Amino acid sequence: MEKQQPMKQQTLPSLSPSEWESIFDDFGSGSASRRARWLHLPLIDLALHAFLRRDFLSHLKPLLLLFIDDFLASRSDAPPASDALPPLFDALRSLFSSSPSAPSAADPSTAALRDQFMATAVSAAVSTIDAPLDRASAALLDPLAEVLLAVANRPNHGPDRQSRAAACDCLRELELSFPCLLADATGHLWALAQAERTHAAQSYLLLLAAVIRDLVLRPGLLSSPSSILSTVVPLVPFNAPSCLFSDPATDRDREPSDVNLREIKRVLAFLWERPQVLTPAATMELVSILTSIAGALEQHVPTVGALLKVQFSGLIYSYHPILCHVVLMLYSGFPDAFSGEDERNIARRLALLAREAHQPLVFRLLALHWLLGSPRLGKGKHSLASLAPGFYPAVFDPLTLKAKKLDALACIAVSLDDLEMKKKGEEEGRRKLIMKLFQDGLVCISAYKWLPPWSSETSIAFRTLHKFLIGVAPHRDDCLEEFGLGSLVDSTIFSTLQSMLVNFALQHRGLVPVIATFVDRLLGCKAHQTLGEQLLQKLDENLLPKLGMDHQLTSYFPIFERIAENDTIPPRGLLELLSRHIVSLTEKHGPDFGLTLWSQGTKVLGICRLMLKHHYSSRVFLPLSRLLAFICQFFPDLEVRDSARIYLRMLVCVPGKKLRQVLYLGEQPSVASPSSHPGSLFQVSSPHHPEDLKKSGGVSSYIYFERVVPLLVKHSWSLALLKSNVEENVQTSNAIGITDIIISPSRESDREGEINFERISSTMEPLRVTDSKVAEILGVLRKHFSCIPDYRHMPAIKIIIPCRLRFDSEPFKRDWEDDSSTFDSKEVDALPAMYAATITFSSTSKYGSIPPCRVPFLLGEPLGNRYDIVPVGSSFEEDSNHCASVIMELEPQEPMPGLVDVTIKANAENGQIISGKLQSIAVGIEDMFLKAAVPPDVKEYEVPEYYYDLFRALWEACGNSANTGRETFPLSGGKGAAAIHGTRSVKLLEVLLDSLIKNVEKYLASYIVSVIGDELVSIVRNNGIIKDVIWENDPEDFDHGVNALVPYSGNIPLQLPYFGDEGHTDNLLPISKRALGTFLILIFLPPRFHLLFQMEVGHSSTLVRIRTDHWPCLAYIDEYLESLFFT
Amino acid sequence: MYHRVIAIMVAHTIGDIITGDIADPEVVTSSSPYVGGLLDSLTGSIGISGISARPRPIAAPVAASTTSGASAVGTAATDGSRNSSRPIDKDVLRTFISNSMPFGTPVDLNFSNISAIKVNGFSSSDLPPTELKQPAWKPYLYKGKQRMLFMIHETINAAMYDRDEIPDYISISGQVNCRADLEGLPDVSLPLNGMKNMSMEILSFHHCVQVSEHGDDKRAIMFSPPLGNFVLMHYQALCGPDPPVKGFYQLSMVSEDEGAFLFKLQLMEGFRAPFSMDFCTVTMPFPRRRVASFDGNPSIGTVSMTEHSVEWKIVTSGRGISGKSIEATFPGTIKFHPRAIQRGLSMPRSVSINVVEEDSDVEQDAYNNTANTEENFLEKMNKELEPVDLEEPFCWQAYNYAKVSFKILGGTLSGMSIDPKSVSIYPALKAPVELSMQASSGDYILWNTLGRCPSAISPKVQ
Repeated sequence: MEKQQPMKQQTLPSLSPSEWESIFDDFGSGSASRRARWLHLPLIDLALHAFLRRDFLSHLKPLLLLFIDDFLASRSDAPPASDALPPLFDALRSLFSSSPSAPSAADPSTAALRDQFMATAVSAAVSTIDAPLDRASAALLDPLAEVLLAVANRPNHGPDRQSRAAACDCLRELELSFPCLLADATGHLWALAQAERTHAAQSYLLLLAAVIRDLVLRPGLLSSPSSILSTVVPLVPFNAPSCLFSDPATDRDREPSDVNLREIKRVLAFLWERPQVLTPAATMELVSILTSIAGALEQHVPTVGALLKVQFSGLIYSYHPILCHVVLMLYSGFPDAFSGEDERNIARRLALLAREAHQPLVFRLLALHWLLGSPRLGKGKHSLASLAPGFYPAVFDPLTLKAKKLDALACIAVSLDDLEMKKKGEEEGRRKLIMKLFQDGLVCISAYKWLPPWSSETSIAFRTLHKFLIGVAPHRDDCLEEFGLGSLVDSTIFSTLQSMLVNFALQHRGLVPVIATFVDRLLGCKAHQTLGEQLLQKLDENLLPKLGMDHQLTSYFPIFERIAENDTIPPRGLLELLSRHIVSLTEKHGPDFGLTLWSQGTKVLGICRLMLKHHYSSRVFLPLSRLLAFICQFFPDLEVRDSARIYLRMLVCVPGKKLRQVLYLGEQPSVASPSSHPGSLFQVSSPHHPEDLKKSGGVSSYIYFERVVPLLVKHSWSLALLKSNVEENVQTSNAIGITDIIISPSRESDREGEINFERISSTMEPLRVTDSKVAEILGVLRKHFSCIPDYRHMPAIKIIIPCRLRFDSEPFKRDWEDDSSTFDSKEVDALPAMYAATITFSSTSKYGSIPPCRVPFLLGEPLGNRYDIVPVGSSFEEDSNHCASVIMELEPQEPMPGLVDVTIKANAENGQIISGKLQSIAVGIEDMFLKAAVPPDVKEYEVPEYYYDLFRALWEACGNSANTGRETFPLSGGKGAAAIHGTRSVKLLEVLLDSLIKNVEKYLASYIVSVIGDELVSIVRNNGIIKDVIWENDPEDFDHGVNALVPYSGNIPLQLPYFGDEGHTDNLLPISKRALGTFLILIFLPPRFHLLFQMEVGHSSTLVRIRTDHWPCLAYIDEYLESLFFT
Repeated sequence: MYHRVIAIMVAHTIGDIITGDIADPEVVTSSSPYVGGLLDSLTGSIGISGISARPRPIAAPVAASTTSGASAVGTAATDGSRNSSRPIDKDVLRTFISNSMPFGTPVDLNFSNISAIKVNGFSSSDLPPTELKQPAWKPYLYKGKQRMLFMIHETINAAMYDRDEIPDYISISGQVNCRADLEGLPDVSLPLNGMKNMSMEILSFHHCVQVSEHGDDKRAIMFSPPLGNFVLMHYQALCGPDPPVKGFYQLSMVSEDEGAFLFKLQLMEGFRAPFSMDFCTVTMPFPRRRVASFDGNPSIGTVSMTEHSVEWKIVTSGRGISGKSIEATFPGTIKFHPRAIQRGLSMPRSVSINVVEEDSDVEQDAYNNTANTEENFLEKMNKELEPVDLEEPFCWQAYNYAKVSFKILGGTLSGMSIDPKSVSIYPALKAPVELSMQASSGDYILWNTLGRCPSAISPKVQ
């Protein structure tokens, strides 16, 4: 080596200290690319060369060693062991072979560096050579072991004792990684360990122990007739023992020879001679080695556990936590060696350790965990109970410690409360004892009663209550139900706790929410649900009668809610209390109580609602109906009265089961399909919650699917009317849907209609009504309806919602591209792509089946794109690679807004499958707006006229009558027919003329049928946006004409009204003097409905008369108009 | 084998090294006020060539300069030259780690030993002991003038209530620090006096101590001392004689921003010479109020004021009292700046906001009922309290109290004592044994007698 050195100097480039520093930085950074810069160099050789140079900066030398260590540990970059290790070991040898008398050798820093070199060499060997050893790698190791043994083999040599200790530690590490490597040297090590008297003796001891352990654990080695401690084989030169390469399985069953057992015992006795001379950490190491030796030898030397105990159990009195742990290790390893007295000692000591104020908090807690966690110490009832005074929290104990000590007290209380103890009598004394533990313990956190409910003290107090309570029947995986519940309910703790909680609630209102949460916690757990219910019952029985009638009653509502929700509790008590509360509110209210009254009344109604939801109507009927009746008659607040009336109605009219379903307002996830929940009348699709999706880690946080044209109405809700309700609920029986007017030939009453229908369809002639105008209307309507497909039998009318799909590159990359495939690291800005994306849709609204869309390829959006300023209204680039346009096609079976859930499935570049839920797409009522279909026989120039006639006909048909009698209109396809049930509404828009016209032209232009009135016509015509409509200059004309039409009425066939009948003219009020004119707007709503606007336009306000044959849409229309004109 | 306790221990040690908290236990003797630790005993006694031995321990300032009184027991010595709490540099930490756990499992976590070896190394003059094995925690043997020093240091935690229904709580935790400048590897045997007449609850020892099975009659320990200062044992005692500071503190809020207070204290009653009180200070903290002014004169001592507290120095360092007792009263009034409206600001959690909202109906009532202003006021203050850290014993800010800091020299409150004459050393050596004792306050709290106070039941340990 010495000779090679100069030669290497010539061939190797030499790195400067600053270069080394940048190497350290690059390798420390963890970035593969930064490391790669240096990998072409022979780094190990360079590092060794630099290390051995005298003039190299001394503060960098330890870093060089760390570098070698790290570098060889990362297998991907490091050279193979056969290349890297020999020069390393040569360098080590040269370090130690330099004359020990040289002045530098005694220098402590040189010595420390040398010791660190040993550690580095061993660490390099361990990390590059795999166990078990084969002959080739053993040959690599031999020189290292030889150097280390040579260093260690100088007992009691003064100056280098630390190096010898280090060498021993290194050898121990080698032995640990390659068991039995040093088997042949055992005899020498034994002699060395005996001889060593400096502080390094500890390392010799540990090395010997480790070697012996491997000997004992390896089958067959002890069975040889020759002593394992023989020193026949010389220490150096070192050769790996042959037993390493033989198959140990063959020797498995051979018994150890007597001579070796004797030797082992000698060594053990030597090892545990004076535990005091070891450092605590080394004691731990030694004991863990001894434990495994003793475990392996147990059948041959049965007393070894007991001997270990004798030697080491005194360490429990040390204040060093590691030494306490040593004793516990022995205890858990050889529980039989510890008698009851020993166990008590350990338990007592652990309890005391928790009280030692000088110990760091973590050890005090650890001691309690040890104590409670140990299967024997913790459960030994008597031993713990006698320690109880030691577990009382002290006033200055940290809160964590208090909590843990209270746990210990709970544990003791439980053991006292156990069934076995009960049988022995002494019931009273035992009860008292438990109560004392419980109450005394709680004193230390008594502040929880008056501190705010979120204080730490409160949390700990209620945690303790829970611990005390469920201690008797803790959670078990195997048997959740029944076990111990009886005993739990009977337990002293439970009965005390019940009254205690009642008192808490009475005296400290602030605790009510916490008590409610506590009950929830019990109710939420399968094993303890019954307990929670019992608690609530107790609260119901004992708390409610004691509550005073004042405003403070509100604080108890959290508890009332739990009671109301629980059907095991008779609702009477609570309802009576609420009634009294309402009466007192009604009587006592002062002038300034408006808001308070409203809030209190609403809260009471909230409880009533819960009652309706969770109890059988029959059970709550009487008291609840009284309460509600009282509220709706006498309560001072109008809104509360109103709501009460609704609830009362519901209680009286809706059958219980339905009612409960109805009341699940917004509480059921809208995921459920309507068919599976036929009873859910209302579905409120809440506006989507992007944060929820993000929380669930969805892809929706960076893959965006959105509408091209945003909705006018942002927050949409939808009212779903379902078929099954129709039969039961009179109110909703005129809910419409083609289904309910299927003409079935078998039904007697419809026979006539059936005939009519056939004739109508064949002759296109009106039947019962001879009036020409009515006939004209019917004719128009028939013609129109015959163009509408019947969606049950043929493809329905589709509406199209253009959407676009895009995604952010950065988060996408992070999620779907692993760092290892870094071939693209040169091209950092390459955009990720998504392949073969399939977007599927589903909706709970009645939109039919929505065909999925496919996007073959999509590039991610570069980061900058999002922040670019895009001119408003710039057209959407369809062919952009960063953004795919997707058409969503709906076949609505009822025109109503809703949500469409969107899921995506796609491939990432590396083949991973991306799938997840995207943000739902809201469908608004405006998406449903279509132009009415024009029959094929209408010529193009006739279209405005056709629409105009249609408008007038529909306007009339949807007039003041609730339906059109028996008049039905066959649909295209010939199998179904529709009837018209019209509804009217009015909306006053206080909008200035300009903005109204602008908005109408922008959003409604294509639906306009006619513009009436000189002034309006002239304004609109000039704008030139509205085309192909009927322009009427004389408003009188239309007015007159419409008035002349015959309105339909309830149940009688169409008939001519008396001309000028006042009662009917109010359906079309003459346009006021201020009005400039009128827009007539006809909107077709798929599948077969219509929406008609007659907008009477004024300078500062516009009156919109609305008629439709689909009344549920009115609610959305209202919102739509608001958004259209007021935002 | 990975043990949690080892991991915690390592983390703890490294944490101490990083924060510079590594300090040898303090040993004070009459001859030299402070005796340094391991390195001093090495460099001061063994003249190794090539090591720049530091001069003999500087006459470091007396440890009394630490007036905080709240510092933990073992780390009371924070004086100048050696224990500067300057964070330690990376290099030292790296050396420590690579020496104490070269392969991940620690073999020795003693920072001062490791750094001593790193600095000093070993020379051929460091001869191994002839017969015994040198313990691993004692890499060097002492050479030089032989002596033994003991110092008993007690910390008193007290919660003084001055109420009939709650007994005062006083607990003493003490430690015996030791320094044995003895040549060779002698065993020291030490009887523990004063154990019988006090309720010594907890005893735990340095690992060099051999503890055979514990018996009540057997109160002598045998140990082979390590080099330098070390904590021989920790102990805890529940009650000693009369506490050194007795009395009461009353604070009554006259209005929201104004209060009247009264202190009546009795210092060192029943403590005769050689007990002496080095200093004694009483602090009234008001962490949630800003003190505007106070009025009143104490019967003894001086009063100063900071933004959030009032401090009353009854006995100042250097003018300590010895062998007599003092009565001190301090009536006065205190005014606070009006409370800034910080509702909402100090409401960190949605829970609290909900609760407040919930109570909005209720609060009207509370305002109407003006009978008990102070209660209401307290109630309001408490609503704004944030949950405290679980490492705190309770929410300090919810209470009014005064904290007493003091230091007493010349004896222990528990009665713990060591008789220098009964210390025996084997093999027999001639070494003088010195003993010093001091007691200082930890959490020594006078709760406002008129307010709420936290308490706990302390049962008699069987």
